[in-house]
Amino acid sequence: MSVFLRRVRLIALKEYKHILRDPFTLAVALLLPLLFVLFFGFIIDLDYKHIPLVVRDNDQSPLSRRFLRQLSAAGYFDLAPAHGMLAAQAALRRNDTAGVLVIKKDFGKNIMKGDFTAPARAQLLLDGSDNTKAAMAQAYMTGALLKINADFTRLYHADAAAANPDALVRTRFLFNPELNSRWFIVPALNTVIIGFLAIVLTALTVAREWENGSMELLLSTPVRAAEIVLGKLIPYFTLTLFDVLAVFVLSLYVFGIPFLGSFVLFTFACCVYITGALALGLVISVITRNQQAAIQFAFAAGLLPSFIFSGFIFPVENMPLFFRIFTGLFPQRWFLSLSRSMFLSEASFAALAGPMAGIIIFAGVMVFAAVKKLKTDVEP
Amino acid sequence: MTAAEAAAAQANENIIEVKDLTVSFGDFKAVDGISFDVKKGEIFGFLGANGAGKTTTIRTLCGILNPARGSVRVDGRDVSSSTAVLKPLIGYMSQKFTLYRDLSIAENMAFAGSLYDMPPARAKARAAELFDFIKLRAPQDTVAGDLPGGVRQMVALCAALLHDPVLIFLDEPTAGAAPRTREDFWALIRALAARGKTIFVTTHYMDEAQYCAHIALMDRGRIIALASPRELKKTYNAQNLDEVFIKALGARGAEDER
Repeated sequence: MSVFLRRVRLIALKEYKHILRDPFTLAVALLLPLLFVLFFGFIIDLDYKHIPLVVRDNDQSPLSRRFLRQLSAAGYFDLAPAHGMLAAQAALRRNDTAGVLVIKKDFGKNIMKGDFTAPARAQLLLDGSDNTKAAMAQAYMTGALLKINADFTRLYHADAAAANPDALVRTRFLFNPELNSRWFIVPALNTVIIGFLAIVLTALTVAREWENGSMELLLSTPVRAAEIVLGKLIPYFTLTLFDVLAVFVLSLYVFGIPFLGSFVLFTFACCVYITGALALGLVISVITRNQQAAIQFAFAAGLLPSFIFSGFIFPVENMPLFFRIFTGLFPQRWFLSLSRSMFLSEASFAALAGPMAGIIIFAGVMVFAAVKKLKTDVEP
Repeated sequence: MTAAEAAAAQANENIIEVKDLTVSFGDFKAVDGISFDVKKGEIFGFLGANGAGKTTTIRTLCGILNPARGSVRVDGRDVSSSTAVLKPLIGYMSQKFTLYRDLSIAENMAFAGSLYDMPPARAKARAAELFDFIKLRAPQDTVAGDLPGGVRQMVALCAALLHDPVLIFLDEPTAGAAPRTREDFWALIRALAARGKTIFVTTHYMDEAQYCAHIALMDRGRIIALASPRELKKTYNAQNLDEVFIKALGARGAEDER
């Protein structure tokens, strides 16, 4: 074994001991991602099972009531009748409801006739200001309608081919017509968790050694900066890789997200992304040399890019030009796009090359910066 | 004897040669143009209040800090250009850090040894030897955080000595220690010097300075007096080193006012 590798190993072994003897850090590192993904996953699930919906039934026929009963039985919507259109609109404006379902007068009559060529007999008006919620509501409505449609066509012998959900209920988005309706939260969770946790974990390590003075001692020995940096990275790398894989398994088996891409490529991308995030934490640690400052920096450097610049909450493609370029500085954006493409599509390697290059460059620059900054010239 | 030979002989005798050293942090000069030599095998004391620039000087001598100006030579070599060669020769015990408190004594020693690429068996044997010398009674698997402060400091000194350095920097090794521990410490330091090690020690206890061959008094980044303890007492016409220090500081203060 070369001197270099031997020293990397000894720094890493020492760091493992520190981690194992600090149950709090270990618990945070291992349990936080799981809690995070479970909370996130289930809160999304629970919240959207009972979407409040105001209903204005202008038809008041047995058929319209049957329709509403079935819709209610599907469990996605909590229906509340509105007395008059004005009351319905007021509820929408007061933000008391996610949308309004309006059933027109001849709803029942047209269905009895089996006439699917007439204009929609019901309209769903959704509050698009919360696009995720609106998209979910629409998706649930579509699902519920498919079932109800099948039921109605069987009952009234209408032309099944014509009976698509749109013909029965027509949806319009209010407030935000360009709705992004993909299901994309869970595949993006790894990006957010690692982009945050990894930075915080390593931000503490070097700062801790500066604070108790041992970094000075390390630097007075023949050990070199690169050996310290790699030795510090390895234990946290294994820890975070475990996190990534755990979240991956949860995504697939608890939340039933499909994974269509290449698992090998995904693992590779995870390794690169983790390295970059951990190295950024080290850079912060080396610069601040103080655990409190390091943790604050790490929060800023982890939270904002993970949630805002990554496209997790706001789609990057909708951002102004400056921010589209600016977000490119953050690996979270590239990894998020990789993660979504790999979960939801069988993207070719060529399509992934750009984001892949983004995270590789970031990881390289960060490792280099950490080593460079730690190099012998260490003025406080 | 030619000039070159004389210089070589001098280099042999002096293990540390500092000329006109200045170390700045931004506008602040922590060390301001100091010069001194340390002879091989002597105990050299660096005295001064907190913030006088003692630790900064040690850091520069260890190659952890780069000087703004001046030259620092250790064992005849320039420190900033030959750190890799010099580091194995140096043992450093910092003021702040003693041992990793979550690791056991044995683990701390093993780590210290491996930093200098010592074979584990040799490191272990050498640690046993040192512990024997300081009469350490705590079991090797004691977690360092559980040791009393004085004992931990002694063990930390052993860690700094493990790789058998020829030049040992001790930054306030006895700060805050009980009088008994301080005595033990100095017994160890003198024993090391008797074995030919050079000890560079900082302290603010004047009574400890008695044991030094030479002492430098530092104040606000400058050396205000540099001689053997006896010479200093004679120069300042003082009974003890405390008095020397007060008189030397007074002289500096008068100089500032002028």
